[in-house]
Amino acid sequence: MRQSRALISEALRNLKNNMERTGDPLGLKNTYWTDWAEGLNLPKEGSIILFTSRMYQMMPYIIQTTDLISTFEPFLAMKGLSKVIQIGNRLAGEKIIRLKARGAKEIKEKGAKSLKGIVAALKASGVHPAYLYEAEPYSGVLLYDLGLDENIGCYIKKVYELLKNHGVEKVIATDPHTVYMLKVVYPKYIEGYDIEVKHYLEILSDNRDSLKRACDFIPREQFVIHDSCIMTRGLGIVEQTRDVASSLGIALLEPENTKLNTVCCGGPIEYAFADMSEKISTIRIKELYGVTKNIVVNCPICLINFSKYEKQLGLKVLDMGELLFEALKNQLESI
Amino acid sequence: MKGADRAKNTLLNEIIKCRACRFCVDTCATYQASEGVETMSAYGRLQSLRYLLMGTLDLDDSLVYSLYSCLQCKQCEIVCESKGQSLEICSIIQLGRSLLSQKLEKGESDAAI
Repeated sequence: MRQSRALISEALRNLKNNMERTGDPLGLKNTYWTDWAEGLNLPKEGSIILFTSRMYQMMPYIIQTTDLISTFEPFLAMKGLSKVIQIGNRLAGEKIIRLKARGAKEIKEKGAKSLKGIVAALKASGVHPAYLYEAEPYSGVLLYDLGLDENIGCYIKKVYELLKNHGVEKVIATDPHTVYMLKVVYPKYIEGYDIEVKHYLEILSDNRDSLKRACDFIPREQFVIHDSCIMTRGLGIVEQTRDVASSLGIALLEPENTKLNTVCCGGPIEYAFADMSEKISTIRIKELYGVTKNIVVNCPICLINFSKYEKQLGLKVLDMGELLFEALKNQLESI
Repeated sequence: MKGADRAKNTLLNEIIKCRACRFCVDTCATYQASEGVETMSAYGRLQSLRYLLMGTLDLDDSLVYSLYSCLQCKQCEIVCESKGQSLEICSIIQLGRSLLSQKLEKGESDAAI
């Protein structure tokens, strides 16, 4: 709780500054947002697009940024020192984050596998979306969550124009936070908003028979499902996750608090309040591994927050996208 | 009436719809993690925001912590709906943040609304 005001002020300034400088919430330029798609030969234009909003790709950077904030937190209330940190962050923050993120190979690989798995599953279901590669923007979810309203209105309009200029009519997003922004928040700021928005699990659930036929997978383990809060309570996507898992031959086990009563992973506040975030994730992870040590999630924020317990508690935490990757490996090799 | 005043009135009108049944308190993940601090629950946040808007409370560290640590997970909204009230609690807190964030971002020493 100490220095919360200084901490939030600094987070807001950094976020605004990063977005203005680079269009990226972490202030990163020319990173590997598109590396995961290498070799997939996805079309760069099309009326239906896959929209990652960099959420899976940002995972190693988010971990490093959170660590960096925790390191500087004790000094933020000291006026002179706070200024030095601000300048230091702008000059060296990006380099430190990049350098350290390079070491986070495991989480980077998990993100890439998840996205590849999603693409393979969509193709197996007869859906062939385009991908905007370097032109793909960030959804602006952090600006919205933190209440930077003066900035979010303009930003949303820019993203909408960009999508329209690329001829986009339908977006298939890979994470629930992006779906919530594009489906629920954007229409509040844009009159006549006319882009159809779906989560990939909705599409796969609608085409589950095709997915089932394409799968080459004999699951050997049982998995417990952790539903994302925004996915279930925000978007009403509950059974679709189970439908898709069932197509892969996996019967998901349910924890005590599940579906509409799922419990948050703590991820949304990790950017500023890491201690509180950890307390929340500890409560939830205990509930999950009480069922089984194999946990499956359907959101990159939950994936980051629970993956840190893999070594500590001997757990296996997988994203739905990673399960799809395992199930459709052979299909990916033929792409 | 200025935009900020309009937003303030809209927020107050929404917050006073809360019937203080407090069923949302126990379900809040931050309330559980803070071992029972009521300002870290949905009900507590609404009341903090209400008294901040009315000028009774100052925007200090504990209030910023309370308002900005909300996970926006909508657990409280499910309970609120089940009790027949259906307040959009997370949107109210997000709107409250939007009134504060412009001032906090500029580092204004008096960030009261």
